[in-house]
Amino acid sequence: MRKGMFYGLLFTAPAILGFAIFTLGPMIASLVLSLTDYNVFKEQTAFVGLDNFTRLFSGEDELFYKSLGITFYFVVLRVPAVILLSFGIALLLNLNVKGRAIFRTIIYLPSIVPAVASAMIWMWLLNPDLGLINSLLSRLHLPTSNWLYGEGSVIPSVVLTTLWGIGSTVIIFLAGLSGIPRQYYEAIEVDGGGWFRKLSHVTVPMVTPTIFFNTIMTIIGSFQVFNEAYILTQGGPNNQSLFYVFYLWRTGFRDAEMGYASALAWILFIIILFFTFIVFRTSKSWVYYEGGDRT
Amino acid sequence: MSQPRKSVFITLTLVLMLAAVLSACSKSNTASPDTSASSGNSGSKENIKLRMTVWGSPEEVAPYKKAIQNFEAKHPSVKVELQHIAADYDTKLTTMVAGNDVPDIAMMESGTIAFPMAEQGKFYNLQEFLDTDADISPDTLVPNITYSLEPGNVIGIGPGPESFGLFYNEDIFKEAGIEPPPSNVADAWTWDEFVEVAKKLTVDTNGKTADQEGFNPAKIKQYGANISTWWGVYSNFIYSNGGDFISADGKTFGLNQPEAVEALQKISDLMNVHHVSPSPVQSKNIPATNVALQTKKVAMTVDGQWASAGLAQSKFNFNVGVMPVMKEPVTTVVCGMFSIFKSTKHPQETWELLKALLDPEASIDMLTAGTWMPSPKDWYTDPALLAKWTENLDARPSGYKEAIVDVILIKGHQTPTGYVKNFNNIMDLVNPALDKVWLGQQTAQEAMDSIAAKAQAQIKGRRDIKE
Repeated sequence: MRKGMFYGLLFTAPAILGFAIFTLGPMIASLVLSLTDYNVFKEQTAFVGLDNFTRLFSGEDELFYKSLGITFYFVVLRVPAVILLSFGIALLLNLNVKGRAIFRTIIYLPSIVPAVASAMIWMWLLNPDLGLINSLLSRLHLPTSNWLYGEGSVIPSVVLTTLWGIGSTVIIFLAGLSGIPRQYYEAIEVDGGGWFRKLSHVTVPMVTPTIFFNTIMTIIGSFQVFNEAYILTQGGPNNQSLFYVFYLWRTGFRDAEMGYASALAWILFIIILFFTFIVFRTSKSWVYYEGGDRT
Repeated sequence: MSQPRKSVFITLTLVLMLAAVLSACSKSNTASPDTSASSGNSGSKENIKLRMTVWGSPEEVAPYKKAIQNFEAKHPSVKVELQHIAADYDTKLTTMVAGNDVPDIAMMESGTIAFPMAEQGKFYNLQEFLDTDADISPDTLVPNITYSLEPGNVIGIGPGPESFGLFYNEDIFKEAGIEPPPSNVADAWTWDEFVEVAKKLTVDTNGKTADQEGFNPAKIKQYGANISTWWGVYSNFIYSNGGDFISADGKTFGLNQPEAVEALQKISDLMNVHHVSPSPVQSKNIPATNVALQTKKVAMTVDGQWASAGLAQSKFNFNVGVMPVMKEPVTTVVCGMFSIFKSTKHPQETWELLKALLDPEASIDMLTAGTWMPSPKDWYTDPALLAKWTENLDARPSGYKEAIVDVILIKGHQTPTGYVKNFNNIMDLVNPALDKVWLGQQTAQEAMDSIAAKAQAQIKGRRDIKE
């Protein structure tokens, strides 16, 4: 037992150390810094208690609420879209069709394109005057949009661009789907049930753990959206895509207000923690584990 | 039995981590004063190593290398390590400062982190060197290329001043039979004359121009003008109209005042009333100035003189005139600057390096290519020196000397980033509001009034006046 303990620690040490040094350490540092007026360029750093947080919540910093609202809007739009779309695609890719491997590759391909490159592609596609999407729409006599350059359309447009990279979510769904034992489907066939019954009585219940996992990961990822604001919109037009993390980055690295930015980071951490907690709590009623209740 | 041991182990690790993190912090807080204290006596001349950070394209970095070579040849005991940070320069420099790993000399930009750093005393006051140096002084440099935290505290000197001009495609004017923009400042177009010409040169897909009946602004093939919505460009016209970002006493927000509002409104009108210049949305389709002019997507464009490098490579008949004048002819002077960090152990050598970097001989390739302008004044006034970078060059068309060289010396205006305190935070309010103006959704007066109170709260004064 003692020996097992030793080897266990030894072999997990790289992971634990890596986590401690590069994640936990900085987190603790930022928690400490969020209680100070730490400015990178200043010689002296003073402890200011909860001043940073009261400054945030007092309404003095309008961009805090604005960026929070924008980010919530983005999450509300994106999470259902990602889950439904990637689940649908996974269902299709799970069919026994010819060239399945090729389709799977194609769906996954955008996920390995560097974020900057795909952002550039979308900037071209969504260009209001020359872009492919507006050209097609106007050719079909459908209304066009200013997409990323319109105040109302910018967030939906950003959601659209991120849907391109759902390949890894699809892969996880596929793994969940392939874990469903065939005999359940055969049982329904014997009972005379069709495609829809299979989906609603077997497939969906059996992949609820996967849906659960993907939902959590998508919520976390959506709250942390940054690249799109950094590359596509720079927060514009009129601050309508000032995502929370982009605002945080600007505060920390452009204005050098690291203490204040740390406070921002911790608020986001708590928000994400809260939503993850909610999903976990509700999961008891809708996530089904074949091996019993293991949440 | 293993449970407590494990938690002890983890706790121990955490404590060690925390200690390491905190000690790293405190190190950066104490180390700087020590080094600056010892900087006075850098008597030993052996193996001095200076570190320098710059941004820029490879072509722009080449002259730095050349300047460093010249400098090292003259100072055999000094080695210069050039660190080229191509992307996210400010983020990386901020991180370097936080980690107490600071270069001796760095390229800095007045609009971003230079002043926040200077306010915390990170830079040498270059005035001390300028006062005693035999070779250069503020009078030997082009005006408006030194940046000061306050009068008498110079934090950076620009190696390559830049000003703005009205670049145009000569062929478009010839074909339309219109007189091109004058290059002499005395003959400069008024704003109305400029608008009239721009209308004649804005053509829709049916061949109608913007001053004709039946002109379709939704299908423009060629824009008469392109005035971008970057502050660097529109500030020219605010100054020209007698306006400013901040009042002369540094106490009042200036962009909602009549002169500035009028200039902003006139630029917005170009896009939304006269339809002769692309709106911010449309300008996403407008390529870089050289391509836009060459492909006749745009007839004239207000751009920095650095555009002449790309224009020269594009091989077509381009030229440059003076910008239209609202009330007074003015050009905004923008440039990056070299700053010397207080933490350097060798301030004198670093100063010598800075001087070598300002030497136009080292950057002569960039001068002749069209990207840069020299910073010593005699390169503008001495005909022999002036000829070196303005004559018989693709990048220097016939109008260049009058429209750019003459104007920067006599009509140059300091960039707002150089004297408006808290510029970034003010512009965080101004830029989103201006988005609505450029899109024609609000008048300049409405937009600037709507943020005036908040902007006023961000006003912290001017750097160029004593308080």
